Amino acid sequence: MLYLFQVLNGLGLGMIYFLISAGLTIIFGLLNFVNFAHGAFFMLGGYLCWSLTELTGNFWISLLTGPPLVAFLAWAAEVTLIRRIYRLPHTFHILVTVGIALILQETTIMIWGPIGKSIPVPDGLQGVVKLWNFTYPTYRLFLIAFTSLIGFALWYLLERTRFGGLVRAGSESAEMVALLGTNIHRLFARTFALGVGLAGLAGTLSAPIRGIHPFMGPEVLGIAFVVVVIGGMGSFTGALLGGLLVGLVQSLMSTLWPEGASLMIYGTMAAVILLRPYGLFGRA
Amino acid sequence: MDANGQARAARHAPGGSGQGRDLFASLRSGPFGGPTPAVAVLLVLMPFALPSSTMATEILIFATATLACNLLLGYGGLLSFGQAIFFGSGAYLSSLTMMRLGAGLLPALLVAVVAGAVSAALVGALSVRRTGIYFVMMTLAFNQTAYFIAYTLSDWTGGDNGLLDVPRPPLALFGVTLADLSSATAYYVFTAVIFLLIFIAVRRVIASPFGSTLIAVRENEARALALGYDTRNFKIAAFAVSGAMTSLSGALYAMLLNFAPLENIQLSMSENIVIMTVIGGTGSLLGSLLGAGAWVIVSDMLAEIWPRWLILTGGALILIVLFLRGGLWGGVESLMRRFGGGVPYAADGASDAAGPPAQPVE
Amino acid sequence: MRDSHILTTENLSLSYGSFRAVDKVNLRVRSRTVHSVIGPNGAGKTSLFHCLTGGRRPTGGRILFKGEEITNSSAHARVGSGMARSFQVTSLFQNLTVRENLRLAAQGRDGNGALVFWRSVNARKEHAALADGIMERLGLDGKAGVAAGDLSHGQQRLLEVGMALCGKPELLLLDEPTAGMGVNDIPMMTELIAGLGKEYSVMLIEHNMGIVMAVSDTITVMSRGGVLVEGKPEAVRADPRVREAYLGEVA
Repeated sequence: MLYLFQVLNGLGLGMIYFLISAGLTIIFGLLNFVNFAHGAFFMLGGYLCWSLTELTGNFWISLLTGPPLVAFLAWAAEVTLIRRIYRLPHTFHILVTVGIALILQETTIMIWGPIGKSIPVPDGLQGVVKLWNFTYPTYRLFLIAFTSLIGFALWYLLERTRFGGLVRAGSESAEMVALLGTNIHRLFARTFALGVGLAGLAGTLSAPIRGIHPFMGPEVLGIAFVVVVIGGMGSFTGALLGGLLVGLVQSLMSTLWPEGASLMIYGTMAAVILLRPYGLFGRA
Repeated sequence: MDANGQARAARHAPGGSGQGRDLFASLRSGPFGGPTPAVAVLLVLMPFALPSSTMATEILIFATATLACNLLLGYGGLLSFGQAIFFGSGAYLSSLTMMRLGAGLLPALLVAVVAGAVSAALVGALSVRRTGIYFVMMTLAFNQTAYFIAYTLSDWTGGDNGLLDVPRPPLALFGVTLADLSSATAYYVFTAVIFLLIFIAVRRVIASPFGSTLIAVRENEARALALGYDTRNFKIAAFAVSGAMTSLSGALYAMLLNFAPLENIQLSMSENIVIMTVIGGTGSLLGSLLGAGAWVIVSDMLAEIWPRWLILTGGALILIVLFLRGGLWGGVESLMRRFGGGVPYAADGASDAAGPPAQPVE
Repeated sequence: MRDSHILTTENLSLSYGSFRAVDKVNLRVRSRTVHSVIGPNGAGKTSLFHCLTGGRRPTGGRILFKGEEITNSSAHARVGSGMARSFQVTSLFQNLTVRENLRLAAQGRDGNGALVFWRSVNARKEHAALADGIMERLGLDGKAGVAAGDLSHGQQRLLEVGMALCGKPELLLLDEPTAGMGVNDIPMMTELIAGLGKEYSVMLIEHNMGIVMAVSDTITVMSRGGVLVEGKPEAVRADPRVREAYLGEVA
């Protein structure tokens, strides 16, 4: 029973990691852009959730408004700054987004203070669900269901809509999409906003479980990198399976070796790199 | 973008002058020529020009770490977000060697250098299995690994509290005490001598067959492979050299503070080292000193009055990418070109590989 | 056993799934000759070249260089054993000077020996001397201090071949050395390659028929991954099958 509990926890955590990594990987796939501020936007999602919940007294309102707000900020950053540097080598993408991450982190401390906060589990999802003799927190069950729904919606968006078709085609050849007469600037900005919005959504959803603090950005970024190194950049399936693998490893290890749970995530990555340098699903 | 596209993009970036960069020119001056005498003079003046010799020491310690980062980024085109692994482990291992084994100053520093080289070779060997963006992400992930290891081994590292009461033994050789380093001034002199030696050594490394090959790998890895270079070995070796230097600076930092905090091995330390390198100017050794100096001085001035000064460094990074890709030293160079005609040490090893870092992309 | 063939392939094959890019190719490149490989687009020339340089691992057959099997050895190891290649798309160290480009090429023969970081580049004067010699031969000696990226296109193509020469190879693999060259520059390249055939063994992949006919000792015509015809230039020129293979392309 303990293991079932941890497996479910791992699934929830894994789906959160999946949302973060999917955002990173969609942006990279289409824009060939590396967003080192991804973790900072995740953190911002958590803080907006806190503030909006405080303001309205309703978690659901903050879930509906927080992530779009993060996406809007990302859109603004894309339009004013990021689109100027696509043509530069990746190193410059990294430097600029590290700069953005620092600004977000310090601004967060200025507004919300350096001490972390906890967010109450939303009304209606408190308590536990009982199945025979197994009990499991309702919110965590909701988390698994809701993130699965989001994952499915994302898949639908990418595979079955015109927007998704453009994103996928653009990942193969941006010139092609431009030739189709699509406004490539607008497509890029929207994709960037979508990817970052996913990080914001993940931040909002995980806030009631894990709490928030201003320095969580780098930690989340590190985990997202592990997921995409394992799963392969630009791969939706890779992000899903990599995210679940990392979530499960972390969750199961936290019963076996609590202090080393985070360490094992990176151990998993090192093992994958040694055995399969191009990741589990990557091509050589 | 293919390798050629990268190279072309780099050529048209500010800081990359049209004139070809000639390594031979740099060698005529040798490791002791070029800017080395100027750096020596600067080292003598620094403690008088700055508020305290402790601050001067801190600048030199970070300048050493920055030089090491610059060797990877500016010359090898390798952006490492794992420098804190070596900085932090240098601090811990040298401190533990002194505290648990009762070792003296030089053996402790030697332990740091060796451990830095070995751990960096290991991290390098794993990371260079991938190139481009994956490589950068892996260095960052390994930094997190090292952080969690240090955090978990709190019996050794002190965990969150850091390692307290790190000693600063006198400089001794074969049991003969040569100098007491307990005063801030004495420790500055010791650090300055080490920095000068490292500066000279790095100039030699850059002008060596190894250094010239490293630049070749940065410029065009496919071609370097076709010419017969096993480029991975060169990257791993670059990591080892860089790791040894960074670890040494970490050890010196622990002795300066008498304290080895967990922050030393945190990702933010890696970020800071990269930021100092970029702000100073990649591919320029004097830029590294300038970058570390600017960082330490500004943080010292602002830390008291405005703890959130890191916002400025975030902004500075963005501005540098947009307007000043050669960093502060690149800015100094173009000012001199405009007003003074000549650029000191322009044809010198210190700056002849200047220009933006070009990261190979898959 | 010593024969005069510096490079031989036995049933060399490279398939991508069911598509056979190179299909059981048997080549014999004689020492100190220019051996050209031609063929219409998609005939497998470039795939063959990749197998020979070590860029792709063959899916079948063997490659022998100086009688030693090198089928699975890495690209950089092949340089050490005496092979050098040029690139179809110019691939230089754009920001470095012409002289430094050539010196790095000369130094490449040292392989891991170039890892020495405690000695000056000056300690290996032979590399600089070799670079200067090649520079003179290419007529680039006036451009020693110019960045490779600032050379004219024709000069860059020459430098491209020159960098291969700096590896002191026994076998030169040239991948379309005239690609993108202006008409005025081609005679210079023709002369250079013809001269190289006397000192080195040259394997040339080339689209330009004029240069192939002028410099080759042997021509192999590839079609659909396999060898269609092999022989001296006059014989190949007269062969009806070659005309047919190319007609398909022209039409």
